[in-house]
Amino acid sequence: MIPALAHIGDPKPRRHARPRSFARKTADTIGHAVAEVFENEDLASSPGLMQRLDPRVKLVSIVLFVVTATLVRSLWVLLAIVAVTTALAAMSGVSPASFARKVWASAAFFGLLLSLPAATAWITPGHVLVPLGPLSITAEGLYVTARLTVRVAAAAGIGLLVIWTTRWTDLLKALTAMRMPDIVVATLAMTQQQIMSLLRTVENMHLARESRMLADVSARENRDWITDRIAFVARKSFKTADDIYDAMLSRGFTGAMPSLVRLRTAARDWVWLAASVVSCVALLGIDRLVAPR
Amino acid sequence: MSAHFVLNGVRLEYRAGVPALDGIDLTVEAGQHVAVVGANGSGKSTLLKMLDGLVFPTDGTIEALGRQLTEDALEEPAFRREFRSQVGFVFQEADVQLFSNTAFDELAFGPLQLGLAEEEVRRRVSAVAEQLRIEKLLDRAPYTLSGGEKKRVAIASVLTMEPCVLLLDEPTNALDPRSQVWLLDVLAEWKRAGRTVVISTHDLSIAEESADRMVVLSEEHRIVADGSPDEVLAQRDLLLAVNLIHEHEHRHYGTVHDHPHAHGHTHAGD
Repeated sequence: MIPALAHIGDPKPRRHARPRSFARKTADTIGHAVAEVFENEDLASSPGLMQRLDPRVKLVSIVLFVVTATLVRSLWVLLAIVAVTTALAAMSGVSPASFARKVWASAAFFGLLLSLPAATAWITPGHVLVPLGPLSITAEGLYVTARLTVRVAAAAGIGLLVIWTTRWTDLLKALTAMRMPDIVVATLAMTQQQIMSLLRTVENMHLARESRMLADVSARENRDWITDRIAFVARKSFKTADDIYDAMLSRGFTGAMPSLVRLRTAARDWVWLAASVVSCVALLGIDRLVAPR
Repeated sequence: MSAHFVLNGVRLEYRAGVPALDGIDLTVEAGQHVAVVGANGSGKSTLLKMLDGLVFPTDGTIEALGRQLTEDALEEPAFRREFRSQVGFVFQEADVQLFSNTAFDELAFGPLQLGLAEEEVRRRVSAVAEQLRIEKLLDRAPYTLSGGEKKRVAIASVLTMEPCVLLLDEPTNALDPRSQVWLLDVLAEWKRAGRTVVISTHDLSIAEESADRMVVLSEEHRIVADGSPDEVLAQRDLLLAVNLIHEHEHRHYGTVHDHPHAHGHTHAGD
């Protein structure tokens, strides 16, 4: 299941004459999440630069670029990586604005929040820009925070680009082809199917409740109902797991998950791989020139 | 005609003292098309799971393909392979049966478990996909398919094992009318090919159209009738008693009247 932050669409806030019920809001959120998974699939199936590449090559290049982003010291080189991924996103049919919003949202959440204390004189002493006693913001501290945040943005951008331009089924095929144990890939595939199925169930439960609600209910009643439904969904998921296992046994499952996945690389895949290696080496070389230790 | 399944005095209790099946004596001959009908909760799905060696009786015995069907017997690789390749089960909910990455992987799963060569697996997948007209779905993830498409892929995933016995649990559930007609055509084709089919359903019209034998389960989880569809459907009082039909007043072409009524059944010319 692709995490919410990796979905293409942005939430579309709508104005409503009066506040919507809890059930309606939850059902809408779930419906939106399911729709976004299908949008991801549509984008991944559309013709674009990254979509044409072999998924294994994309997975190798993602590792190369993430390692490079981790080793780079210069803020400017990191910003250049973010700019390149944004350009690649545009060439792959992804809206640059939507891409930038997701990338910087990830960076703010995972990078800025975690590294904010490093901006203070308490952790990074130096030239004080904003005097706040031991929590004064220093120029050196701000640079450390900015570098970590942009590093996260660069890594997130590369990851999102691969996720958005590769169908889930192809990603799993690539993992199989790259010797990931079959049982792990099969578990990932089943997880995706079942999460989608359970999301539909939860959405319908909320809509069924909404359709029978005549008056507003309190937050406490909502909490009680949610607790009860969580238990129901847990029971249902256990039963579904049993049924799936029965269905596997019925077709002769003995513990092994052989596969017929055969991926073929084209000339463009090798060109892409070579370009990725050259780019990473060049970025590291430039980085060492502009930001020697 | 040889028997594929022989059940003698079968009883199953999921909880002590609460039977899911009780006193079941049933023989399914090769090539028969049997419809197991009964109200919801009568034990139809449990009976099919038992025929597929997924649940086992608390009392009584089952013989399948000439051997006692027990957990121990299915532990033997040779018998398990023979049994699983000969008996195919289409589950009521297609979602539980579609656990692979793509529809192609789903169709290939069974043959690969049988240890068939890659060429043979690909030949079977291709042939069944063409037969069920699902070639365009092969590269798609199951969760992106519609209800009817999922059912087709679920049936195809069993057919690639080329079983001689097919068990179908509520096969018309969640199918639109066009897909139901398609399924009836598929069942008719299997009949011509001499395959043994056991379906469970509470839709009497499907049972009447597709089966040459009807077995009725009561709400007490016992077999209360076993005969041709014409013989069983003529027993109006019995069908009322087992909750398969009911009487209510309704309107046909401007005339209000009441008569026994089975859901899913149309009254042509009424």
